[in-house]
Amino acid sequence: MLTPYIMDLETFIKNFEEAVEDVEVGTLAGETVFRSLEQWDSLAVLTVIAMVDGEYDVRLKAKELKQVETLAALHALIAAKKAA
Amino acid sequence: MPKCRFKDVKIAGIVTCVPPLEKCIDEELALFGGNLKQLERLKKTIGLSKRRVVDDQTTAADLCEQAALHLIAESGLPLKQVDAVICVTQTPDYSQPCNAAVLHGRLGLSKNCAALDVNLGCSGYVYGLWLAHTMIASGGCKRVLLLAGDTISRLVNAKDRSVAPLFGDGGSATLIERSPGAPVAFFSLQTDGSGYDKLIVPAGGARCPRSAETALAVEDEAGNFRSLENLFMEGAEIFNFSITEEPRAVKELLEYAEVETDAVDYFVFHQANRYILGNIAKRLKLDLAKVPMQTVERYGNQSSASIPCAICGELATAISDRASTQALLSGFGVGLSWASALVELSDLSICELIDYSA
Repeated sequence: MLTPYIMDLETFIKNFEEAVEDVEVGTLAGETVFRSLEQWDSLAVLTVIAMVDGEYDVRLKAKELKQVETLAALHALIAAKKAA
Repeated sequence: MPKCRFKDVKIAGIVTCVPPLEKCIDEELALFGGNLKQLERLKKTIGLSKRRVVDDQTTAADLCEQAALHLIAESGLPLKQVDAVICVTQTPDYSQPCNAAVLHGRLGLSKNCAALDVNLGCSGYVYGLWLAHTMIASGGCKRVLLLAGDTISRLVNAKDRSVAPLFGDGGSATLIERSPGAPVAFFSLQTDGSGYDKLIVPAGGARCPRSAETALAVEDEAGNFRSLENLFMEGAEIFNFSITEEPRAVKELLEYAEVETDAVDYFVFHQANRYILGNIAKRLKLDLAKVPMQTVERYGNQSSASIPCAICGELATAISDRASTQALLSGFGVGLSWASALVELSDLSICELIDYSA
């Protein structure tokens, strides 16, 4: 059974902005294509994986980060993994 | 996981030897395509800074030999009393014979001495300690010389940002001996061989011998260059592995030993990088004052030599000032392989970091 999900998109975007060095908080949105960000590099992959592990207790693979385009889609992926 | 405890065995001395040549990421802006912001992000987040690397003439065996000579001289250890020499390395001088035999000869050890190599990297020091304890506890040996060292800097492609700025070199010598009444030492050892290709040098072994093709450096999608003879690391997967398995392994070993986290004086992790260490420490809620982290920033990730280097470089004064130092040592990496030990460090008669001189 799916429990009501406590992880909202807004908080997730804020966590993402804090996880990626040199990204200003409040500059990203659900439709942001995060892999097109200038700051998106292999380091950002690590810090986002660590954030998702720490905040949501979900182990995200680097490959999975390549399979979604927007922050909203990434958020949905994490929610799905969390529910699984 | 295999867990075990040993009585009557002690670690009697550790010496680590590092090459004198220092490289600093600040001088390598070209490697990052002039992207200063990216370089600054790496410095700030991962903690990349300096590293010590060998020249192309110096090998892990050379570093280990100098560490061993210093250990032998300072501890007054009679060579004929060494019953076994274990060499932990992934960068041996030859594909055969093993480094342990080569170093046995160079050190002038007795013929009544076993010599063998262990092909492990970042977990290798703890595996080597475990093996030495096993050999002594079984009654077969009284004194074992453990030589752990690597020169991974010679395996990375200089134009591969994902590994080149991370790795340094080092060699160590540790004396383990029978000592009735010594505090109990606890070990755990684990492996996940399904991840064998996450950290790998693909060519140069029997599966894929060296050829003109394997020597060719190819650019990957991130703009890094490497050949099949270079070290490849899937950084994100290694990171995931580390922050998942390490905290669990440490907790399980402490439970097995029935020791509270707070009762441990130091947590000496393989010096992968500050980011990984910080993440592991955070998940275990460790007091950061108990977690040496400066070794990797000064010397780089030294593979099998990183734990002894952290002990010699960061803890020597602290452990000599104390009557007892309970340290949890834990290495993790290539294999994938990981191992942890809870040992007493205040019985060391020597604990020193030296510079290599050719």
